[in-house]
Amino acid sequence: MTHYSNGAFYNPAYHDSETLELDRRSPRKPHHSNPYAQEEPAWQAGRANVFPTVTGQWGHSDDSAWRVPWEGGQEEESRWGRERLPTGHLPTHPQSPPWQQAAPTNMTMRWRGMRRMSMFVNGEPTHLSITEDAIRNELEQEEQNLVKDLVACSTKDRIQGIKELPMSYEEKKHIRSQVLAFKSSKKSRHLSCFADCSDNVSLSFRRCGSSMASTRQTLELWQGTMKEIGGRFGTSVLSYFLFLKSLFMLNIFSFLINFGFITIPMLAYNQIPQNVTFRGLELLTGAGYFNYTVMYYGSYGSDIIKGLLDYNMQLAYFFTIAAYMVLCGASIIYSMASSFKTNYVLSDPVAGGSWQLLCSWDFSVTNEKAVRQRKNNLRVQLKETLSEKTQGEGLTTAERMKHFGVQLGAWFISTSLAVGCGSAIYFLSQYEQRQTTDTDNWSLLQEAETLLVPFVVSLINLVVPLFYSLFNKFELYSNQRRQIYALIFRNVLLKMSILGILCYYWMKEVATKFSCWESMVGQALYRLVIVDFFFLMLGSFFGEFLSNVIGTRWLPRLGVPEFDVARNVLDLIYAQTLAWIGIYFSPLLPVIQIIKFFILFYLKKVSLMQNCQPPRRVGRAAQMRTIFIALLFFPSFVGSLSMMAYTFWSLTPSKHCGPFQGLNNTFSIVGLWVTDLEGISTASWVVWIYQNVIRSEIFYFLVTIIILFITFIFWQVTQGRKLLILLLRQQIINEGKDKTFLLEKLQTLQKSQPNNKSKTQIKQSKRRSDGSSSGVRSNSNAMVQTFLAGQQDSRGNYFCDVPVPSDISTSYQRIPIASDRQSSSNALALARQRAEVQDYRTPSTLASPLVQVMQARQDYERQADAMDDGSSSMSNIMMQVMEARMRAEEGYGVQGRPVATESSVPARSSALIQAMLARQQSQNEYDDGY
Amino acid sequence: MGATASQLGKDVLSEYQELTFLTKQEILLAHKRFTELQSRDSRGNLNPRVPTETILTLPELKSNPFRDRICRVFSTSESKDGLTFEDFLDLLSAFSDSATLEIKSHYAFRIFDFDDDGTLDENDLKKLVNCLTGETDDTRLTPDEMTQLIRNILEESDIDKDGTVNLSEFQHVISRSPDFVSSFKIVL
Repeated sequence: MTHYSNGAFYNPAYHDSETLELDRRSPRKPHHSNPYAQEEPAWQAGRANVFPTVTGQWGHSDDSAWRVPWEGGQEEESRWGRERLPTGHLPTHPQSPPWQQAAPTNMTMRWRGMRRMSMFVNGEPTHLSITEDAIRNELEQEEQNLVKDLVACSTKDRIQGIKELPMSYEEKKHIRSQVLAFKSSKKSRHLSCFADCSDNVSLSFRRCGSSMASTRQTLELWQGTMKEIGGRFGTSVLSYFLFLKSLFMLNIFSFLINFGFITIPMLAYNQIPQNVTFRGLELLTGAGYFNYTVMYYGSYGSDIIKGLLDYNMQLAYFFTIAAYMVLCGASIIYSMASSFKTNYVLSDPVAGGSWQLLCSWDFSVTNEKAVRQRKNNLRVQLKETLSEKTQGEGLTTAERMKHFGVQLGAWFISTSLAVGCGSAIYFLSQYEQRQTTDTDNWSLLQEAETLLVPFVVSLINLVVPLFYSLFNKFELYSNQRRQIYALIFRNVLLKMSILGILCYYWMKEVATKFSCWESMVGQALYRLVIVDFFFLMLGSFFGEFLSNVIGTRWLPRLGVPEFDVARNVLDLIYAQTLAWIGIYFSPLLPVIQIIKFFILFYLKKVSLMQNCQPPRRVGRAAQMRTIFIALLFFPSFVGSLSMMAYTFWSLTPSKHCGPFQGLNNTFSIVGLWVTDLEGISTASWVVWIYQNVIRSEIFYFLVTIIILFITFIFWQVTQGRKLLILLLRQQIINEGKDKTFLLEKLQTLQKSQPNNKSKTQIKQSKRRSDGSSSGVRSNSNAMVQTFLAGQQDSRGNYFCDVPVPSDISTSYQRIPIASDRQSSSNALALARQRAEVQDYRTPSTLASPLVQVMQARQDYERQADAMDDGSSSMSNIMMQVMEARMRAEEGYGVQGRPVATESSVPARSSALIQAMLARQQSQNEYDDGY
Repeated sequence: MGATASQLGKDVLSEYQELTFLTKQEILLAHKRFTELQSRDSRGNLNPRVPTETILTLPELKSNPFRDRICRVFSTSESKDGLTFEDFLDLLSAFSDSATLEIKSHYAFRIFDFDDDGTLDENDLKKLVNCLTGETDDTRLTPDEMTQLIRNILEESDIDKDGTVNLSEFQHVISRSPDFVSSFKIVL
């Protein structure tokens, strides 16, 4: 508790404020700048001795017996309170389910107001008949409002809104029936055909949507397997399989459109020369027989297929590929952006948060053993974060230099490895190219030789990452995340440099040497895809099976391997890059990819189930997912897109094969098509677009300028929001400190001697507040009245201890951050304080719930401030004061000692009513002033 | 499946669909599983309550460290024991894929709030950590570690510095831990 209770000392606002008057009066004025430091012992003593229950309440909640009637402070509590309380005291009528947290975005404001009402649900003492009725009315009113809100919404919003109410099914059902009843009664009054029709349409749309959703769920691929994996290995491993599945789906989609728009029209016209036979090796090399099938670019003709409709093969080929790439790009950007938003922008910048660990418990894990293992892992991780926190950064400069040197060396080695592999591949390819000739029929040996390059490439892809992961043993990264990022980055660098070199080789050398170079590139890609598949299988054998065997039989120290999600996902990304690059050269490459991914799914599943253990580290799965999507987008998709764009715009298609034979470049087909269209009047817009948008520099110039401008504006907005978040956060902290401060004050009050200098104090404060600005004045008037009320109340209790609170009040007027509203709410806190102070005279068990109430009120004030909604904050204030009163009175009921305190009850309640009135008046004045 | 569909009735089914985040298939599956549980007990009354022990025999809940809390939070009965089918649907709805973050965090908060007092105080957090690391003495964190951990947790999340984590603070934390949504999930 101590770590927050001292918060007030550090708030400069208190030190600058008039509160210091208290200390100026005191003879032991300290020399140092913090006048409160001296008082600390006294306060702590007060905390420890005088109010044991106050501290006990926060520290240990086991003793909930006396807490029971007092909750309601938190807006969300009512529900639990209701469950916990003896039901005899409760408004059991079903008309009053509590509304809280029920906030679809469009109604948040309103519903917050409702939430406020909910605090009364449980706290109704039976003897407070007036309040009870009033509250019940209020509740019904609120329910009506909710129903009205829901009725006003569109059907979709309404259903969503009801769904999002955090209440039990019965209550939701009740609300729904109310809403429907309301709606039908309204409808009968002014029935309009349009509304009816639109209702029907939307209803049928909804039906359709829900049935679509259920169909989709029935068709959901690998659902049971996914559940099994998730149940045993948790979300992070599952994310690999989800990624695999989404790539699988992407390839199915690409296969469908390629097959539908390019291959089917071509199939009829495709004939294979008689002298070519199928030898079997083609399955591996993709050469020979496949060269004459629709597998590759070369077999597609350039003619316009005459039939019922003319089918321009060139245009079909171009636009299918282009549309596929655009759709892919759009879907990847979309999923990347949304996942980036939720997982990075909103997530905590502080790494390794303890909450993050606690919240990452996988509820989907159902395997008993896995649960035990996860518990162990979580414990280890929690301990690690703790030790990290306590140790801190205790590295000397020499150690740091050493780490830096090792990391630098590792980076140097890995980068040079990547470059070396790239150049090795390049020379190998050149060597191979010298060997191969542009003939139709290769001998078997020649054909097998073509497998050399893909073999080496895949071998590099398999071995070098293992080598990289060795670096992890030597490099001592301070945090694990950076280590993983470094590993990923190196692997990506390696894969992309290899692919980049290969692309360069294809573009520069192959494109000039072979007569049908597109098919050659297609074949090369086919081989890469196939060999990569075999190596993926080998990889899971070596990576998982072998290390499992080693770990269990020979070197138990190593233990059973974990499934390396990062490495496996990078492999997938690499495979998908190949497919994207190849889609132009070999339109049916997605078929191979589909088969590959399908087999891979089961292979990995079996390997996972047999060889692996659940991951030792939890958390960060969502962020890793974002990174993987980002990687899929940035080097992979963008790279293949730019390669394709280069092919379209700059390379000359082969003269004697393929759909684009005889053209200067692939893109010029669009120009030709547009010149064709110029004659047709209905298509003039296409021509216009082509001439004014596609071919005009000024268009791109303008678009660039506008995008830059928008980016700048958004950047500014982001900066502003960042600042705002900081300010709001500061404000919350300040409010919390206010609360602590007031609590501390209360405790000192309890200790301090009551004195009777109140009159003069109040006058002083009045004068002071009159002198201040108008907005403050109106509030302070009300505040003074509050004091008077409080004072009278204390007199009723034969108690006068006003001066200190009045100091607090004046201090509040001077707090610079205080807006008018805030100062009024502070006055409210004071009013409450008054009520509470009296209660401290009575048994201290009463006092502590009141402190709790006050604490809760603070929360409300914060909300009210945030809401910026004058009228509701007024009702808020009223409710608070009323509640404070109720608390006070109910406290007596619970304590069961009316005799001793009965005489003071009327005085107290009248004082409270006065305080309430004062509040109201201050609010009115505030509104007027506003 | 067909038999259960006829048992549920179209109106009831569509109402269930409208009031929960579940799809038709999920509701039907839930009903099937629920009636299987029921068959061990009395099947007579209209909206029977299956006692918590029976619910906890579900493999999806059996090894969950929070199983008792989950059943308690979602139970609408006075004694907090046992779930009706509608409670069961509520449970599955909150743990389903399509439930919003707000709903999920709300129920997570209630599950973690062991003493049902509306805030996560030190004891709740202790119980939470013990639940997650294992209850036995040798798996538990040492008292020192526990206090340190709880201090860290409060430092992280207790924005208003009142020593407890309330719902809005909890939701704030949750909104910043992206793994929560995907892991707060129970699929039948």
